[in-house]
Amino acid sequence: MTPTRKLMLQLSGIAIVLLMWEIAGRIMGENLLAAPSIVAVTYVELLLDGEMLIELLNSLRQMILGFGAACLVGMPLGALMGRSRLIDALVHPWISMIVVTSVAALVPIFMMLFGTGFEFRVAIVFVATIGYVVLTAYHGARGIDPKILDVARSFGTGRIDTYRKVILPALFPYLITGARLGLVHAIRAMVVAEMFVIVGYGGLIFQTGLDLSTAPILGYLVTIMVVSIGANVALQRVGDRVAPWYAARMAR
Amino acid sequence: MTAKLELKRLAKAFPRGSEPPLEVVRDFTLEIRNLEFLSVIGPSGCGKSTLLRLIDGLILADSGRILMDGRDVTGVVGGEGRGMVFQSFDLFPWRTTRGNVEFGLEVAGAGKAERRERAEHYIRLVGLEGFEDAYPHELSGGMQQRVGFARALAIRPEILLMDEPFGALDVQTRDILQDELLNIWSTEQKTVLFVTHSIEEAIYLADRIVVISPRPARVERIIEVPFDRPRHERIKSLPEFLQLRQEIWSLLKEGVKI
Ligand SMILES: Nc1ncnc2c1ncn2[C@@H]1O[C@H](COP(=O)(O)OP(=O)(O)O)[C@@H](O)[C@H]1O
Ligand SMILES: [Mg+2]
Repeated sequence: MTPTRKLMLQLSGIAIVLLMWEIAGRIMGENLLAAPSIVAVTYVELLLDGEMLIELLNSLRQMILGFGAACLVGMPLGALMGRSRLIDALVHPWISMIVVTSVAALVPIFMMLFGTGFEFRVAIVFVATIGYVVLTAYHGARGIDPKILDVARSFGTGRIDTYRKVILPALFPYLITGARLGLVHAIRAMVVAEMFVIVGYGGLIFQTGLDLSTAPILGYLVTIMVVSIGANVALQRVGDRVAPWYAARMAR
Repeated sequence: MTAKLELKRLAKAFPRGSEPPLEVVRDFTLEIRNLEFLSVIGPSGCGKSTLLRLIDGLILADSGRILMDGRDVTGVVGGEGRGMVFQSFDLFPWRTTRGNVEFGLEVAGAGKAERRERAEHYIRLVGLEGFEDAYPHELSGGMQQRVGFARALAIRPEILLMDEPFGALDVQTRDILQDELLNIWSTEQKTVLFVTHSIEEAIYLADRIVVISPRPARVERIIEVPFDRPRHERIKSLPEFLQLRQEIWSLLKEGVKI
């Protein structure tokens, strides 16, 4: 399929859904489901008003901290788990538990531990993200071609150099994938956590949910979707730039 | 001539769970002369790679010793005068030609200027100038293996261990690289241990050929190759060449029980 054709099809898919949404919106009315035409108008107002973007930036700043910390801890941890049975045995059960636990279920405990401020949000995002980052790095590390490690050994590569110059670059595509997956979960966790304590962007969504019109809330959702998808694409671009060898191999 | 490398009664078996261990190398004794080109030939699965990995220290022998210039290097991994060229090239896909060639020097702690200069020399030697900044995926198989040569040569090993380096290449590329390898060998002063399962390749390249019996690998016969150097493609059709080929073929056939 040519890229233009693919793009056309994707756009058509979106257009069809928008059309159906418009029809449904007209039938159901604005306080059940605002039609896209109404949402569009409201959306411009929200943008001009500025509160949405300010809250979003504040929330994203905290989300980035939690997400960054999860990457910083999770990537080396996953790599070590993949290379060492001992560390794997010690840590894996905890990671499995974290991954299956829903963020919402953690909120009450985290509120007691961290209050409802900055630390609370960062901690929630951290916990919601780290499992995905760790597990992708882990599977990457386990799958490293033993032949490439033989080459390293054959040149007398030391332990640290083996990690720095062989395992880390071999893992790079997995780290990027882990970061992308983690980021989606980080943003979700951010919104959920904020809805509970009614602060930031999630708080904004929660409060707007009490309004009569559903147009603003749909606007907020559109924004967060755009942010999430945009961040994902950006991370992928970074990966392709830093690792041209990987991008080229995937394209085949 | 003095022995460059001595293998003394090497043995290696791989454990196989509840079954008895798989004996891959047994009682393997061989002297490799200084600066000779020695081919090792045997059917696939007979333990040739295992033998090279033992010599390179990538795996430990169960018993026996490996001496280099009389020094015991049994189980000493990597570097130490040995350079390995791998069958499937096994380049680092995230490194360019230059980066791959510099790898061994880098981990040995060589300075940047020295690395660069030496990498350039060997990249030129294997005929890859102009491809310094290419990634492996941008190179053909033959070119990738040239990088593999340069990478092994860059650490200036005294012994070059080559594990079926042309096994994954098409026939034309293989013929060209054989001649280039001989050229490089004549200028670089190396002892070469060249593993192959192609009889023709073994004869064409080597001073001596070690025929190996199938598992467990042992020296079946050592054959001196009578052809002068430099060698040319045309010796492959000489009666002596064909006769030698026939002789090795019979030896190998005897060993293989189907
Ligand atoms: N690490 C290993 N563990 C278990 N068996 C092995 C291992 N390496 C090689 N073998 C076995 O040893 C035999 C010889 O292998 P190899 O040395 O690769 O043969 P060749 O290179 O002559 O084709 C094969 O049967 C192979 O399955
Ligand atoms: Mg082999």
